[in-house]
Amino acid sequence: MFEWLSEERAFIAAFLVIALIISFGVSLTIGLKQSILRANDEVFGDPDRTKGGWYWSVCGASALLLIWFYFSWEVGRAYFPKAANEICQVAKIEESISPINAAMPIGSRYYKSTDLIIRNTAQLDSLEAALPVDLFSAQEASQLLSVINQTRQIIAAFSNPDSQDPQSQKAIANLAAEFDFLSEDVLAGYDGYEPTPEALLQPKWGITEVEIPLLPLTPRGVLFDNISLKAKSLADTFLKLRSKSAEADRLIAKTKAEIKTLKEANSQAQGSETYVKKREAYVKAVERIFKRVDDGTIFPPEALAPLYISVQNFTASVDDVKGGLGFIDSVFLPGNGIIKSRTQCTEQGPGRWLPKPTDVVATFTRLANPDVASGGGYKGTTLLWWKWLEISDVVDFFVPDSVIDMLPGSYGTHSADGTFEPTFKDNLLRLAKGKISLGAIPMLDGHIWDSLFRVLVAMGAGILFGVPLGIYMGVSRFFKSFFDPLIELYRPVPPLAWAPLILTIFGIQDDGKIFLLFMVAFAIMVISARTGASGTQLSKIRASHSLGATNQQILRYVILPNALPEILTGIRIAIGVCWGTLVAAEMLAGTTGVGFIENVARTVSDYELIWVTILIMGILGLLFDIMMRWVIQKTIPWRGKG
Amino acid sequence: MKTKYLSMIAAAATAVMGLGSHAQAADSVNVAFFLEWATPNQIAKVEKAYDDAMGVDVNWTNFSTGVGMTEAMLAGDIDISYSQGLAPFVTAIQQGAPLKMVGIAVVYEANDCFVKNGLGIDSSNASELEGKTAAVPLNTMADFAFRKQMAALNVDISTMTIVDQAPADGAVSLADGSVDMACIFGGASAKAAGEVGTAIMTSQQKKDAGIGSFDVISVTEKFATENPELLRTFLEVTEESNAAWKATDAQIAKVSADAGMDIPTTKNQMAGFIFPTAAEQIAEYFGNDGIAGSASESLGLVFKKSNVSNLTGSLTKTIDGSYLQ
Repeated sequence: MFEWLSEERAFIAAFLVIALIISFGVSLTIGLKQSILRANDEVFGDPDRTKGGWYWSVCGASALLLIWFYFSWEVGRAYFPKAANEICQVAKIEESISPINAAMPIGSRYYKSTDLIIRNTAQLDSLEAALPVDLFSAQEASQLLSVINQTRQIIAAFSNPDSQDPQSQKAIANLAAEFDFLSEDVLAGYDGYEPTPEALLQPKWGITEVEIPLLPLTPRGVLFDNISLKAKSLADTFLKLRSKSAEADRLIAKTKAEIKTLKEANSQAQGSETYVKKREAYVKAVERIFKRVDDGTIFPPEALAPLYISVQNFTASVDDVKGGLGFIDSVFLPGNGIIKSRTQCTEQGPGRWLPKPTDVVATFTRLANPDVASGGGYKGTTLLWWKWLEISDVVDFFVPDSVIDMLPGSYGTHSADGTFEPTFKDNLLRLAKGKISLGAIPMLDGHIWDSLFRVLVAMGAGILFGVPLGIYMGVSRFFKSFFDPLIELYRPVPPLAWAPLILTIFGIQDDGKIFLLFMVAFAIMVISARTGASGTQLSKIRASHSLGATNQQILRYVILPNALPEILTGIRIAIGVCWGTLVAAEMLAGTTGVGFIENVARTVSDYELIWVTILIMGILGLLFDIMMRWVIQKTIPWRGKG
Repeated sequence: MKTKYLSMIAAAATAVMGLGSHAQAADSVNVAFFLEWATPNQIAKVEKAYDDAMGVDVNWTNFSTGVGMTEAMLAGDIDISYSQGLAPFVTAIQQGAPLKMVGIAVVYEANDCFVKNGLGIDSSNASELEGKTAAVPLNTMADFAFRKQMAALNVDISTMTIVDQAPADGAVSLADGSVDMACIFGGASAKAAGEVGTAIMTSQQKKDAGIGSFDVISVTEKFATENPELLRTFLEVTEESNAAWKATDAQIAKVSADAGMDIPTTKNQMAGFIFPTAAEQIAEYFGNDGIAGSASESLGLVFKKSNVSNLTGSLTKTIDGSYLQ
């Protein structure tokens, strides 16, 4: 059943999008109506004004989800399930002609030849200026200068349309004509093209690791695919195209000979090693630029003009046949669109780093599958499940073996007949070591539980130690002055700064991670309890004192309830920060946990997994907060009404 | 009327989106490299030999992970990654990143796994590692080396507790005894782990078992198509600086200063490095059935995700030795 849902995720998304739009519209209407209705009844600033209003929650959640659906390309995939495949075929054409585009002012601002000339001339100028006259004899120096000058002349010869060989002109014209034919092929349309059976068997968009099916699925796609193959061979021809010029050939031969003599002079040069090396380096630098211009990659702009026009026409005709695809591409697939890399077509922009909601759900279901053997869970651990926990293991954990050592009596030894009869103390040791079965209790298990356990234990300890200390700091001079410097010194330090210490003090087990989280929770709880306690109205304390309350009673019945709002707000903040620190804590030594999943997912840039962990942490945080709000409502309903 | 507006919006959107991706002639080239990873071409880097030969500004940015390099290349901030690990390169390709391997930067011994001294475990009784705890930086070359070595020693890793730890943390945990084995990359961390542990396999054993690793030079496909001549020159200068490498004191001093390590560590690290020439790379790595292809495929199998479809053979398509010629 999950497979079927997974296959049809585009279809499901289409439904969800409509449902979201409807719920957004309806809740917005209700909200606006309610606002108008109540506008005159309520006083601005009255906390009661924030009560209720579920419709605004629905409205906000719908808007957020719609934005997610849109920017992750889910809307595009839902309503145009074959668009990506067709755009992929267009991307194939773009990939094919990209070497030509790069050489023309299509993919860049200048002709490639112009760029090469600017760059190489600048290098020649700086080489000429830096000619080390002390390294070379006068004759060699003049020869070097002539090589540099001739290289410039070669550039000039290649740039001059008059000195171009008619043959290379003709080759360019031929290529341009080929592109014109190709444009006609494109404009002829895609009637009669059919996708191959093999193409139709491909998994749908986004179902597997290969995001977008590569083979064309539509007649139009088949046309583009065919065109891209032809364009590729044209581009190959273009790459082999060389500028030819008799004048340049003459200069090249001459310069080559001169460089050869210079190199020979170098090989016979006498002197220190650095001297010879410097000479060689300079000649090499000159030769490098000569070699860059001698292979005929510089064309006069006039020579390339016909090809430039044909390629532009070709691109325009592809755009023509693309029709509505361009619109879908720019509106429904926001970002950098789809590009064809060597092995596959990939989504770029938000399509890449913001996974689609249904894909995230699919990944989550895969992880949530408790059957680890059949590919569920992550790295051999379930996401959230239960297991039988042996009570003996708990005993083993809590009772140190050395306690048994301290008991009276002695451990048994083996007897003469080679058997071993355990004594009472032996049995106790087995119990402490968790070797005696005491039955089992069901216990939660999995990555989420491990993270939750760490956060809960840390929070519990933080509240247990932080709240009393905070309250005493609020009422006692000793506690305030004694602990203030300590708390204030460590509180501003970010938890990550403690991390390296934690690892070496506590090791890799849970205790270190819990301690790190505890430190975060503890500081927040102390501060909030202290603020709450010291903020108690003096008149209330005086009143209870004059009514005969003892110190304990004042603390229990006046100060604690008054500090409760701050303490509960502190808990809400602390839980949020604990979840935030969890990823760092689980990075220290990761074996399980939500933060561990995220850390590993990051190393392979698995954005779907990263978003799953983000959402898990977000939802758990939200659940906590909802719980805390309920607690606040039950315990301090009087807040703000005193 | 409505459609007209829509198409205007679409055109405007396309124009805005197009601005970012508009290809421009490279007047500067951005190269990623690792600190604490000493290579001869750092001399060329410091002496601006790359800038002079390529005729453009070459900006070097240091990274701490190969994944970071991939992400920067995808964001368009980096054109060439020098010495990216094979593991991040292969995982990037598996995610469909438009990257290409164009050269081999460094060939080095596979990363070591250090067993805590005092456990009495070496390669002869390695099966005793079963049931023990190992710190491994997951999805890195050290992870790959760990799996290869355990396979060579017939250790069943499913019985081991594997803790995901960065090399520096792994070394600390090994020293504290909270893990029994730590697999490490990087000079400083390996040195620290070597203080308290012993490598499970010697260099010779690793060589005999055919376990080695290499770092690659990877580029974005866009840069390779648009500026092949700059890429060629980059590889040429790298080749020249490798050829000029004689490990003299002056050279090592320059490299160690740039790599951010002291001279003995640099010397030590570079002793284990081989910098293959272009000819060797073409012959051994980039030919048909070359090492580059086969190593990538075998690494791809180790790190593939559970829901990955059959990508066999696709990795070799992204390996291109033609720029070395």
